[in-house]
Amino acid sequence: MCADLSRTPRNLLVCERSSFLDEKNRLSFQVEQLRFNYKVSLLLPECGSAPSHLESTLNSFSRFYLVKKLPIYELLDKDFLQNAVYQGSVYGLSFGTRIDEDNCVALMPNGRLVLSLDKDSYEMLGFEGRPSRFNHRTCSRFVVPVDLKERSMAPGSPGYRRLLRALSSHLKLQTDFLISHHPGGGAALKALLSRYDWSERRPEVCSRRLSDLVCPDLRSCDPHSLLEWLGAADADVSCQNSSSSFLSTLTCPEPTTTLAAALSASVSGLLLPQDVQRLVEQLRCHLQQEQTASWASVTVHGFADGPVSWGDEEHGVLTGGENFYNLLMFHDHTYRLHLATGPQDGCPP
Amino acid sequence: HAIKRKIKETETKQTSLILLTVGAALNVDVLKYDEETLSALLRVPSRGLVKLWSSLTLQGSYKNQTCAFRVLQVSPFLLALTGNSRDLRLD
Repeated sequence: MCADLSRTPRNLLVCERSSFLDEKNRLSFQVEQLRFNYKVSLLLPECGSAPSHLESTLNSFSRFYLVKKLPIYELLDKDFLQNAVYQGSVYGLSFGTRIDEDNCVALMPNGRLVLSLDKDSYEMLGFEGRPSRFNHRTCSRFVVPVDLKERSMAPGSPGYRRLLRALSSHLKLQTDFLISHHPGGGAALKALLSRYDWSERRPEVCSRRLSDLVCPDLRSCDPHSLLEWLGAADADVSCQNSSSSFLSTLTCPEPTTTLAAALSASVSGLLLPQDVQRLVEQLRCHLQQEQTASWASVTVHGFADGPVSWGDEEHGVLTGGENFYNLLMFHDHTYRLHLATGPQDGCPP
Repeated sequence: HAIKRKIKETETKQTSLILLTVGAALNVDVLKYDEETLSALLRVPSRGLVKLWSSLTLQGSYKNQTCAFRVLQVSPFLLALTGNSRDLRLD
């Protein structure tokens, strides 16, 4: 019994070191693979406030739309498919649904519609799917993936008509929905939005100045300690471990330096990988231009309740739904990349 | 059922012991406590996770006041706790 109590669910951490100057670096691909981003956090040393070009980049993250009670069969609407799904990329995710309790829906930029359903809903739907990879002893969760760009799902085809009938008659799936389109933005989604209660949202930007931040040696620090330190900085947790307090023994990994000032900024909402890519490029410029900037850290968190996390990999929540990566960039174009997932995830790319 | 009840009684006593004697059985760090939201960030070695979680679940009162602990998220990565999309509010 004691041996069982000490076991915890498995997590995956992929660690990579590379350089932007290396032609084989896969960073762009890896950034693009985490489709549904919830939050991007920055940590910049020796910086009291965001430089203007970075501030404008943070403030220009694409707007997204919240549609209340969207019937999911509307994602099969012919005009929507023609104007949005087939042209550019749609990012859509059910909002307010929990992947471990409710039915969840994702519409991916490659045209794949993924439904994650409980057993009863799956049986009512009557459309082919497969059991979840993360079912424990009983099959309580099912995944229905549909490629809307495939010929067999073209409007009017038998497969299309079956799915449409399943979603509009058998299982009238309806959820609040977050949706965005690249590059068309709201214009490509106008017809769909106009039929329902929708609102345009701007990603929320927050920033704060940190003083006297104790910082480890970022090049040599082991991955777990590094991520813990970054988490402490992001959560505003002290690493002092003073002798007068018995509350926490958390310390900064040795050897340490102290930064007089640092900037912690974040942007949250439904964030597109293209905007994250742009931010990374701006940070690279910042590192080249600013003499005092020797490194910059970007952490990107995926949605905990999305049916997918990395690429087309199925995602679930057990003790947590983490799927995030941290990019630590240095002045000399090198970087450390850490990609992490929770117990119910595939391996990051 | 009898066996289960017995184990639960023993665990409850152990729980009180763990909570009352900080650090005696487990090295639990209280990283942060927010009085406004009544939420905290705790850190515990992996081998102690189940004990700590069970203790929090079973703790129903403190100094004769009824209380309850709800575990919101558990991860080996502190960084993961700062980006939980379940905190996203779009009212």
